Amino acid sequence: MKKLFLMLLLLVGMVALAACSSGDEASSGGSESSSEGSKSVDKITAWAWDPAFNIAALEKAKEAYSGDSKVEVEIIENAQDDIIQKLNTGLSSGTTKGMPNIVLIEDYRAQSFLQAYPDAFHPLTDVIKSDDFAEYKIATTSYEGEQYGLPFDSGVAGLYVRTDYLEEAGYTVEDVTNITWDEYIEVGKKVKEATGKNMLTLDPNDLAQVRMMIQTNGSWYVEEDGSTPNLANNEALAKGFETYKKMMDADIAKIVSDWSQFVGAFNSGDVASVPTGNWITPSVKQATDQSGKWAVVPMPRLDMEGAVNASNLGGSSWYVLNVDGKEEAADFLLNTFGSNPDLYQTLVKDIGAIGTFSAAAEGDAFAVEDEFFGGQQIISDFSQWTDEIPGVNYGLHTYAIEDILVTGMQDYLNGAELSKVLENSQAQAEAQLK
Amino acid sequence: MSQQLTKKNELDLPIRHKETKRQRTNVYFKKKVGWLFVIISIIAITIFNFYPMVQAFLLSFQSGMGGNLEYVGLANWKRLFGDPTFIAALTNTSIFLLIQVPLMIVLALFLSVLLNDPTLKFKSFFRIAIFLPCVTSLVAYSVIFKYLFGVDGIINQFLVKFGFATQAINFLADPFWAKVVIIVAITWRWTGYNMIFYLSALQNVDKSIYEAARIDGANAIQQFFQITVPMLKPIILFTSITSTIGTLQIFDEVVNITNGGPGNATISISQYIYNLSFKYTPDFGYASTVSYVIVILVVILSIIQFRVAGERK
Repeated sequence: MKKLFLMLLLLVGMVALAACSSGDEASSGGSESSSEGSKSVDKITAWAWDPAFNIAALEKAKEAYSGDSKVEVEIIENAQDDIIQKLNTGLSSGTTKGMPNIVLIEDYRAQSFLQAYPDAFHPLTDVIKSDDFAEYKIATTSYEGEQYGLPFDSGVAGLYVRTDYLEEAGYTVEDVTNITWDEYIEVGKKVKEATGKNMLTLDPNDLAQVRMMIQTNGSWYVEEDGSTPNLANNEALAKGFETYKKMMDADIAKIVSDWSQFVGAFNSGDVASVPTGNWITPSVKQATDQSGKWAVVPMPRLDMEGAVNASNLGGSSWYVLNVDGKEEAADFLLNTFGSNPDLYQTLVKDIGAIGTFSAAAEGDAFAVEDEFFGGQQIISDFSQWTDEIPGVNYGLHTYAIEDILVTGMQDYLNGAELSKVLENSQAQAEAQLK
Repeated sequence: MSQQLTKKNELDLPIRHKETKRQRTNVYFKKKVGWLFVIISIIAITIFNFYPMVQAFLLSFQSGMGGNLEYVGLANWKRLFGDPTFIAALTNTSIFLLIQVPLMIVLALFLSVLLNDPTLKFKSFFRIAIFLPCVTSLVAYSVIFKYLFGVDGIINQFLVKFGFATQAINFLADPFWAKVVIIVAITWRWTGYNMIFYLSALQNVDKSIYEAARIDGANAIQQFFQITVPMLKPIILFTSITSTIGTLQIFDEVVNITNGGPGNATISISQYIYNLSFKYTPDFGYASTVSYVIVILVVILSIIQFRVAGERK
């Protein structure tokens, strides 16, 4: 009897809940359609990560904002992983409650959000002029002919080098400018001989190096469509793998396993170079005793036809969610990051953030000489390289494929045949990414 | 005599009958009130436990990006068996389980017997010292272990200084050592927790049993295996089941110490679920299929443990 009663209760409870949930869906659908009509708000929220970079940029934008509607902008700092989690859980449950108006999304992930939640984002096609921004950012921030993201952080990569170590090994900055990765390895061997220092750090769990390498050739883990894995027949990727192994075999890399070890390695003077995105500049400058000993040169390229000395790592863009206040949010973005060159001057001067707004690159702030880098105009150099970055469609699966490739890389380093490794990875990616 | 008895019985009967009636109404009332008390928790458990479980089960038959889910039948389950990452995660989790749980239980048992010795001095100090790890935050201790075992970490400095290794071992970048570090970390964290259960159980074991055994000439090892272990059997069962469930759900340590690496060498099932939901293009359907694997494993392993160690009724 008791059991029966309990079962009955459970059943009733579940039916009631199921009814509730379907009711929720209906009502959330209703609220979505009501948000189609413009319901004005007097406060919008923006989510971003990194207080020294993106949050600071938002604060500057807030100060500079002089749009038609005087809305209050609330800036909320979240870790990037938290933003991804909150967006995914919120958007997939169909409720827009608690969602921000403006959100920063990393370029590698943008397509997966745009395609997984097609109606969740507000198109900015009529709001911003995509021609005003660096070309390589457009593929990642648009979907099906509509521009959704306002391109922001450039992620342009460069090779940070210790000039004093190079000198000890008998090289000058010119010797490492516009070189191939193979030449880079040769320099690395000499540097290790002369100074005992490693040339760079490598994290076996993070294939950022390979990612940057293949982008110098305009290649990516997926084909143009953004979803078909392109691993087995990807020459650039094979070359990238080979180069990675060469660096390991030449014993010029210090192995690190996380960010703090990575930063620690160049701050303590353990490595002679850091090939990475420009957002590392503040971290490099942390070691004030190394002032004047650094220079930045263009990224080495893969030793193959079509490869250029420019690449990208990371980078992010602003998106407007399709909720009440989207007009205000779009207006805020247009009047700040979308059209205000002066704002970008401030960003460069105060934060060191390099945007991708083309009209901003000519200001004085970009030409400023940085004493830490021996008087080099690094901002102006970086923005010059930005124009040369080959545009690729990062597609949907950057991190999923990279997790597969990390295992493949381990096998390859342990002696497996490269073509086999890439074929296996291709088969696994095809099975996994449907 | 017999007459007296029957008389008494006759006298007793009606009174007893009256009492039971009153008792019955009392019990009936108590039952109702009892239900009133449990009904709140039943509703709460239904909403927050059973309903999500059923929904997740339904979700495991769907697939798609983010919110665009559609029913795919058993496709997710088929995909599971051909998915090398899942198999790697399952293998790693099983290795942690098979090595760490027995290791920890034996260690906890051993320590609890040592600390139960009445002649031991500074007993409470040792007890606190061994119990303390399990009140620390999961993330905090994971991060500390990561630094302990880093290339420039204190363990490597120790090994090199005292000649145990010629050069620093990169524990976290080596598939074998990374697993060892995880196992060491969870053992450090949870041994004290299990030890407390054994200690409290040992307090309830009658000292005279040991005395009798000693008189019969049993040595310490015999006493341990013949008396202590059988006496603690229900507690050992309890701790091994809770530890099994805990290890199957391992997440914090793996994410914070090795982040699943190098190259999936330490990825756990829970971390794979997280990756499927939030790191990659989200596929909540497949993620819930993988989480149901944990449910099934927990059920199977618990049944086996009950069968092996449980009392038969």
